[in-house]
Amino acid sequence: MGPVITLTCALPRAGVAAFGGPAYPDPNGMVLTATALAPRRALDRVGPLRRFVHRVDAVSLGDHTSLRDGLLTVGAAAAEGCFAGPALARVRISLVSPGESARIVKVLDAVEPRTKGRGGGGIFPGLLGRLAVQGRGPLHVLRGAAVVTAGHLPRAQEAVVDMSGPAAPLSPLAALHCVVVEFEPAPGAAWEAVGDTLRIGALRLAAHLAEAALDEVPTVVVELPPTSLQRDPGDELPRVVAITRLQCQGAFKDVFVYGASMAGGLAVCLDPNELEDGAVVSGQYGHPGLKNPTYLFQNHPVLRALRARDAVDLRLAGVVLAPEPVEQARKELVAAHCARLCAALGADAAIVTKEGAGNADADLALTMDGLEALGITAVGLFAEMAGADGSGPPLVVSPERATAVISTGNYDEPLRLPAVERALGGAELSLAGTAAGAALEVPTAVVYGSLSPLGWGRLRAAP
Amino acid sequence: MTLRAVHYLNQFFAGIGGEEAAGSAPARREGAVGPGRRLQAMLGDAVSIVATVHCGDDRAASDPATAREIAALAGHADLVIAGPAFTSGRYGIACARVAAAVVAAGGRAVACMHGENPGVAEAGAAPVVLSLETARGMEESLRRLAHAVGRIAAGEALSTEDHVLSRAVRGNRLADRCAAERAVDLLLARLHGDRAATEISMSDFGRVTPAAPVADPAHAVVALLTEGALVPHGNPDRLESARARRWLRYSLAGRDGLGAGEFESVHGGFSTVLANADPHRILPLDAARELEAEGRIGRLHDDYLVTAGNGTHVATAAGFGVEWAAELRRAGVQAAILTAT
Amino acid sequence: MLCNLVPIALSVGAPRIVPTRGIQFPTGDPSLPPAEERAWRRRLLETALRAVSTAVGGPTLFDASEAAEPVAS
Repeated sequence: MGPVITLTCALPRAGVAAFGGPAYPDPNGMVLTATALAPRRALDRVGPLRRFVHRVDAVSLGDHTSLRDGLLTVGAAAAEGCFAGPALARVRISLVSPGESARIVKVLDAVEPRTKGRGGGGIFPGLLGRLAVQGRGPLHVLRGAAVVTAGHLPRAQEAVVDMSGPAAPLSPLAALHCVVVEFEPAPGAAWEAVGDTLRIGALRLAAHLAEAALDEVPTVVVELPPTSLQRDPGDELPRVVAITRLQCQGAFKDVFVYGASMAGGLAVCLDPNELEDGAVVSGQYGHPGLKNPTYLFQNHPVLRALRARDAVDLRLAGVVLAPEPVEQARKELVAAHCARLCAALGADAAIVTKEGAGNADADLALTMDGLEALGITAVGLFAEMAGADGSGPPLVVSPERATAVISTGNYDEPLRLPAVERALGGAELSLAGTAAGAALEVPTAVVYGSLSPLGWGRLRAAP
Repeated sequence: MTLRAVHYLNQFFAGIGGEEAAGSAPARREGAVGPGRRLQAMLGDAVSIVATVHCGDDRAASDPATAREIAALAGHADLVIAGPAFTSGRYGIACARVAAAVVAAGGRAVACMHGENPGVAEAGAAPVVLSLETARGMEESLRRLAHAVGRIAAGEALSTEDHVLSRAVRGNRLADRCAAERAVDLLLARLHGDRAATEISMSDFGRVTPAAPVADPAHAVVALLTEGALVPHGNPDRLESARARRWLRYSLAGRDGLGAGEFESVHGGFSTVLANADPHRILPLDAARELEAEGRIGRLHDDYLVTAGNGTHVATAAGFGVEWAAELRRAGVQAAILTAT
Repeated sequence: MLCNLVPIALSVGAPRIVPTRGIQFPTGDPSLPPAEERAWRRRLLETALRAVSTAVGGPTLFDASEAAEPVAS
């Protein structure tokens, strides 16, 4: 597959800003198009993010990491070295590709290989990269691959990904070449240390793999200007904000923004480009079907869908992040705060997403109602819990005022998965009491990302 | 083996009588009655309607315990068939409750009514076969009911292809686009004025935000409203008796009471004899004037608004509500009392 | 709303509901002698006034037959 013509996220409205910076060899007609609306002076200085996308069509293990013509070779020693530390006795690196008769069980997190330069260049700020605001400059992406950690951690619920068969269309990982990292904790290691080492190790491996692309010709280059958080004069398009609620329930159920949990915090507004650079990293391992892996914060489905229509029939106005408190009064506060922040951004509408099950639905419902109370049109993404036969009431908590809801599928509907030739992540699937590779009947909720609260999936429930 | 079925009908279709018999008690008769005979002919030998249970609509709809009485009268049937009730609210509720009671007790039942019948929400786990809107569609409605009963008799599952209301059984499907893209589409639809689009309905009838309470009724202007179709004698403005597409406004200025013979109800959904004998049973003007004279309310609004709430299209009724609210607000009315039949 | 078919009123979300004694006579009761029927009608209206003066969060029943607390549904 050869290089493809660029696209840009916004049409020029007043003048065309020149593309500066290093030129890349262009034997196949790669075109770099222009930037956005004439940005304000301050945003001029922030500058755009340039996403260089490199396609991965196959993976193999080898002595050194390289990327050539779509073949990603993972240097085994370097990969294992990313996880070196006292908390892990050993790790094993395996590869699985789409279509194989293979299953990954006890899936933890998935990270898209990305880097901003040699040594990381600031990618995953606050965790891998130094603590600094990101979202501008170069970003190299290996598209079609993911680093996947799998194994047991406390509070994690067993998740399954099948690379083929009926469950394959239900998980984002089934369409990716997965670099699977299995691990063995060191004797006496604290579980939190195990979790931290896995997390940093996965980010380190993701950056290391992407570094192999730095000298390669990208498949696609996308220029993403910074998002204006104010309505520009004369802009009549409806302004739309993506509100992303994050879990913040402590160890193994937390999400990190610039390396820190949002527990106890309020709503904040980020530039979508910051998420591209890895500002949001998942440390949450519950609810497999309702999981938002780091991969989907890097490739935020709602932001992608909004970008596709940006400057056409809407204006992307930013991404609001807010925690999901576990106590009612704070839930109400944060929901109202999200709505207030959207009003200050001049939002006409917002799409609200969550992570987790019924508890998170309450945050979703409160946020949608808060928006509608301020006259901001709200759309929420809910998974349904209509029971195994689909006859129960779909929503655990529904909004009272807002009524525009997208279904991401029925949690409870059973799935029959065939036996597979190869299983990674563990020898057994405890929730089924079987060998990991055996034929299974499990609720849809067990498949990793199947009810994707961020809207990745095509699953929906309908009469 | 032939399935033994019991058919539930209201007093009208059982041939007991019209509205004057709406209070009749549950009773059982052998064999098929009224439309049940036509249903039996369609069912053939696979199903035999061994008995018919009937009850007056008012009795069946106003007391939830009546459904269990009726289910008990149906006895040890293989299947209880209720309706078709079309858009009759009382009859539909009765059919739904009977079917739900039978299923809850471990039996099998199927109810038949129009999709907008308020009874559909009360059918519990019993399937609801969709009928046409009025008894003019009896033949087709019975055909659908017979088809569904046939499938039940054959042990086959029912689906929306059998004209069965898919009340809340939701199955997973793969849409053509991801949820995020569908969310953007839904958002744009909403921004462009579609107030109903959604993938999950909060409820069939939408949500009503309660108005804030009146601070002090003694200073409030209060209006009387009714869907009891109370109009001046002779119905000079031709309010419809059913499926009303209009509402009307009549003056109460200078009136302390509504005399029998001066006003009448033209509602087609119940017997109006009692209401016509004393129109205050529909529109409580006398009591309202007393409260006004005593200063319990500030003032009674000069007009009353009226329509006939009989088989009214839901969207039409919702539209009337919006119009009434707008008119009353413009007239400075703070509170309204709506009598419903 | 004064009505006899309370479940319908609940399902459509009517916020303030006063149950009546019959479909054919929302503000009446023909089983009573005239004076008592008028008194019942008056009680219904007083209950309606109480209802419109009460803050409610969703469909709430106001019972005219006793001085009861409103029941949220």
